[in-house]
Amino acid sequence: MNRNWLIGGLAGVLALGALAFVQGGGAEGAGAEGEEAVLQPIAFPHDLHAGSEEGQANMDCQFCHFSAERSVDAGIPSVSTCWGCHQVVQGTNNPGEVAKIQGYWDRGEPIPWVRIYKISDHAHFPHMRHINAGLECQQCHGEVQEVGPEGLHTRSGIARSLFGADAGIGENGPVWGGDTMGWCIECHREPNPEGLQQASTDCAVCHY
Amino acid sequence: MSRDLAERDDGIKRRDFLRVVGVTGAGATLTGCSTAEVEKLLPYVVADESITPGVATWYTTVCGGCAAECGMWVRTREGRAVKVEGNPDHPVSEGGLCSRGHATLQHLYHPDRFHGPMIREGTVFRQGTWDEAERLLAARITRAQNPANTVDGGSVMFVGGHMSPSMGRLVDEFVGALGGTRVDYDAVTDAPLLEAARIAYGTSSLPRYDIGAARLLLSFGYDFVESGASPVEHGKGLSRMSAVNDESHAKGSFVFLGPRLSLTGLNADEWIPIRAGSEASVALGMASAIAGPGSTGPYANLLQSYSPAAAAQAAGVSVEAIEALARRFASESPSLALGPGTGAHHRNATAANLAVMILNDVAGNVGTTVHYDPAAAGGLAGASSSFSGIEDATRAMASGEVGVAFVHGTNRAYSLPASAGFREAFERVPFKVSFASAMDETSALADLILPDRHFLESWGDSTPRPGVMAIQQPVMQAVPLFDSKQAGDTLLAVGGHLGQDLGAATFYEYLRGHHLAAAGGSTEDFESGWRQALRLGAVEFDAPDAAVPQLRSPQTALTFDAPAFDGSGDLTLIVHPSARFGGGEFSNSPWLQELPDPVSKITWHSWLEMNPATGEERGIRTGDIVTVASPHGSLEVPVWLYPGIREDAVALAMGGGHTGMGRYADGNGVNALDLLPAVAEQPSGALVTLATTVSVTATGRGRRLATIEGSSDQYDRPIAPAVQLALLGEAVEGAEEEHGELMAPQGVGGFVPVPAEGGAPAAFPLEGARHGEYAQAHEGPRWAMAIDLDKCTGCSACVTACQSENNVPWVGEEQVMMGRDMNWIRIERYYEHVDATQAGDLDVRFLPMLCQHCGNAPCEPVCPVFATYHTPEGVNAQVYNRCVGTRYCANNCPYKVRVFNWYRYTGDIPEPLNWQWNPDVTVRDNGVMEKCSFCMQRIRDAENRAALEEGRPVRDGEVVPACEQSCPAEAIVFGNIRDPNARVTQIVASERTYRVLDELINTQPAVNYLKKVTFHEVVSEAH
Repeated sequence: MNRNWLIGGLAGVLALGALAFVQGGGAEGAGAEGEEAVLQPIAFPHDLHAGSEEGQANMDCQFCHFSAERSVDAGIPSVSTCWGCHQVVQGTNNPGEVAKIQGYWDRGEPIPWVRIYKISDHAHFPHMRHINAGLECQQCHGEVQEVGPEGLHTRSGIARSLFGADAGIGENGPVWGGDTMGWCIECHREPNPEGLQQASTDCAVCHY
Repeated sequence: MSRDLAERDDGIKRRDFLRVVGVTGAGATLTGCSTAEVEKLLPYVVADESITPGVATWYTTVCGGCAAECGMWVRTREGRAVKVEGNPDHPVSEGGLCSRGHATLQHLYHPDRFHGPMIREGTVFRQGTWDEAERLLAARITRAQNPANTVDGGSVMFVGGHMSPSMGRLVDEFVGALGGTRVDYDAVTDAPLLEAARIAYGTSSLPRYDIGAARLLLSFGYDFVESGASPVEHGKGLSRMSAVNDESHAKGSFVFLGPRLSLTGLNADEWIPIRAGSEASVALGMASAIAGPGSTGPYANLLQSYSPAAAAQAAGVSVEAIEALARRFASESPSLALGPGTGAHHRNATAANLAVMILNDVAGNVGTTVHYDPAAAGGLAGASSSFSGIEDATRAMASGEVGVAFVHGTNRAYSLPASAGFREAFERVPFKVSFASAMDETSALADLILPDRHFLESWGDSTPRPGVMAIQQPVMQAVPLFDSKQAGDTLLAVGGHLGQDLGAATFYEYLRGHHLAAAGGSTEDFESGWRQALRLGAVEFDAPDAAVPQLRSPQTALTFDAPAFDGSGDLTLIVHPSARFGGGEFSNSPWLQELPDPVSKITWHSWLEMNPATGEERGIRTGDIVTVASPHGSLEVPVWLYPGIREDAVALAMGGGHTGMGRYADGNGVNALDLLPAVAEQPSGALVTLATTVSVTATGRGRRLATIEGSSDQYDRPIAPAVQLALLGEAVEGAEEEHGELMAPQGVGGFVPVPAEGGAPAAFPLEGARHGEYAQAHEGPRWAMAIDLDKCTGCSACVTACQSENNVPWVGEEQVMMGRDMNWIRIERYYEHVDATQAGDLDVRFLPMLCQHCGNAPCEPVCPVFATYHTPEGVNAQVYNRCVGTRYCANNCPYKVRVFNWYRYTGDIPEPLNWQWNPDVTVRDNGVMEKCSFCMQRIRDAENRAALEEGRPVRDGEVVPACEQSCPAEAIVFGNIRDPNARVTQIVASERTYRVLDELINTQPAVNYLKKVTFHEVVSEAH
């Protein structure tokens, strides 16, 4: 007996519902239409800090994301890290935003950044192994040094700022062409100089 | 559906099905969601240099769980303790940690902890500030001490439990300045042993045992593996003395004498089931046989009046057994006799302990396996006084002499028999102060509660034995939800309000000041010593040479005869400390509640142990609820028939029947102390626990026990086989060849297949088996484990360690009864030969059972979604995000090690108890199958560190799973079996190696067991 129609039918009904939702969420690539803006406490411009154009600071990513080469977490800079420079650098573009740092510093409060992306609990991504394998941050995160403050304001904005211009927005955050694990696997499967697969595709490397 | 999927060419493919499931899953989730939850990413204001986000920071400290004071390593992540383990550098515990030690972490994050100082207002408590509470206390002390106050005046009394030496000193100074008294008492403290040591050798500390050095070990009912003075140290000692040496075939033997086999007893090679209370007669009978008629010494006259024959008469066993044991005890030197323990605190317990000391003395064991320290060292002995001290205190409180009473580290209203009248007396005290960190039966009566810090948040010190000093340091800032304060700091603050000068503003300063003074005031030496103590967890220094003391003449008239028992019941009641809860102070931990008792395998509730013959005589079966009545009380409890107890005795564990301790303790089981009289043994003053007879009558009702035990019988299958010592080495050559072949790893799956009897070896990979992209040549490690069953004591520390490491939830009594317990590792206990009627060989097998990581795993091919598969490193992995919960794998697992999340067990865990979760391990939700992962997160962590350091492969010993880490018996070894020099490879080369059920079903497990070694002939199983 063939019950494929049953599976197909059931799935179809649910898939329609899902599709309707996704479209209602206004996801595909384009960005902010209908999407709730997530206001960050400070309009932080990645481009001014990490960009190498005229007037940009050309800082190393790991100056602020300090633990990326030794920890699973890349690290969020402490207020003292921001204030360390900004007590001298007043900012020419947006001194109002810079002044906020002093407010947090004086009050001894952490900056309450709004989390826009989180890897699923069942997947473990060790930053340090990727950094130590010689990857540039941009290989996964896109041209972050070109992203302005708006990049941190919405989920789709962060998707583009963290993962490049062709990223989409999915159920739990930014996705790459709709198949997030496939994106990891693609790179892991690339051959290394000896012609062997360059990184493991064993499930238990990330899922445990 | 499944049948369609199995026929792969029938239209829909597995991947299509997955896609369908994926989409429907997403749909369901999305429609269930409202707007995205806003989560904050909070950076530090100033980064703490010792903290790297995502990287564990380790601290050493001292376990505050019990008076043994084992060394501890604490793993913290982002400033939060997430796991405790044994400290391998600690000279006493040497890396082991017991279940209770692991469970102390749950008390740190316990949702029942107080959120601040609690001040009584009428019948309820109000939360106050620390300043308010301390000023109130100071004012009440001043008021109580005003001689003109005749209404609520009186003296100050401090009732303590176990505390660190410095804290004890501070309490003495604080209370002394107020002219008050301090009384310490611990329900499971071995006061009779201490008193006997004082009488016999004039020492004021507990004797120290070198169990590992003994060739013949005797325990007179002393349960040193699970309770006793230092369970980890002594359990390790037992394992070292009794485990066979695979080269020399040397093996110490262990004889247990007592009416009931405790967990310790189950490890014995021989059981002499002596009658309860006859320990002194047996010990002296043996001593007289060893000493002979012409003996001298202070006890010569006493020994004249004892003989093996009289001992046999008193104990109800054969005279031959006692004579033979006496001969062996003298000849198999060094020997060691221990006990009796807390479970045998009868009315002549001091005499019984003295008798065992005399036995050790005549056999020449003093100075070799048993040591008496000339001076009290603090630590173990501490200032703990006795039950009789509590009796005096109770009288003083009842008579209105006490104006202010403090209770610290103890729960007297629970841990004393109701007939002691402590509760009533305590209630009469005008102002009662408790330092409990969570509500318990005693604090419920208090007027002021000053919640103490958990030991992981506190400073302290420890002298576990002379020549060893350890510092207890806070491993994290106090849990912010709970506004707690270390009791030492509270006393210093209150002392300040009262105008006392105790020499320090904080307890930390007080502690350091004392150690600085003890170091002779040399700041430089002190600083380096202090730092070393903090880094290593303990420092050793030269202890004064302990001269071998001479046995003294008795100055106290003692009766060595068997004591009289209360009542006219026909069964003697044995009340013993619980292997999980001690005297009851650990009962509010759900890990320990759900930990199967190492003897009965029962969780959550109490049970009455009764011999099957006794049960049959009365028509009582396991699960029948009976009324147990003594002259002092009665209670109802289900029966568990146990062949390891004499027919004339029944046994109840302490720790159940809490009424006001917390959400995980209350209402579970019964309080065995309710059946006991409030009698102090003389002269030690210990609470008598072996005191009464009981009558047992069936109520006609029954219940299902919340047990995890399937069967205590192997039914002649070689699940936990044993080999006789005399046969070791005989079949070595053949075995080596066979194991060499067995161990050779092959392909992605298992090892070289077992040659089928009389035929060609089974093909591997099996014909037609597909391993997809995982079937690649792999040169990396091949993980495997070896478990030596001759070392395993069944203590179950690994079970709690695993639960803590791997975010394994607890499920509760009802779910356990449905067979839904979640532990990834369990200790099977099989009786091979247990005879309570006569002295003879004892054969009980323990088998830690966890996922066997089969090379040819039955669970893998039945999974429709490839959620379980074999990694190239030889681990049977479970991918939670793939699992759809068919449970086919669990059905097909011959070892029954897969557990299923039937409900959202993890979601039901209240804040902040879930702060303990290991951030490196996925928290599983309902509908997901799980099982032992060989601590995959620890493998990854070791790999990451090795790769980061110098891009090298992982070294042997760098991956230590949680079970191996905590094992006090050192029975578990993990490693890469492809490395010929790895410890695991070398251990597995033993002729004792076998794999469970492998020869029957060709599962080719990666877990290798080493057979237990017996002295007697092994008859039962096929091997």
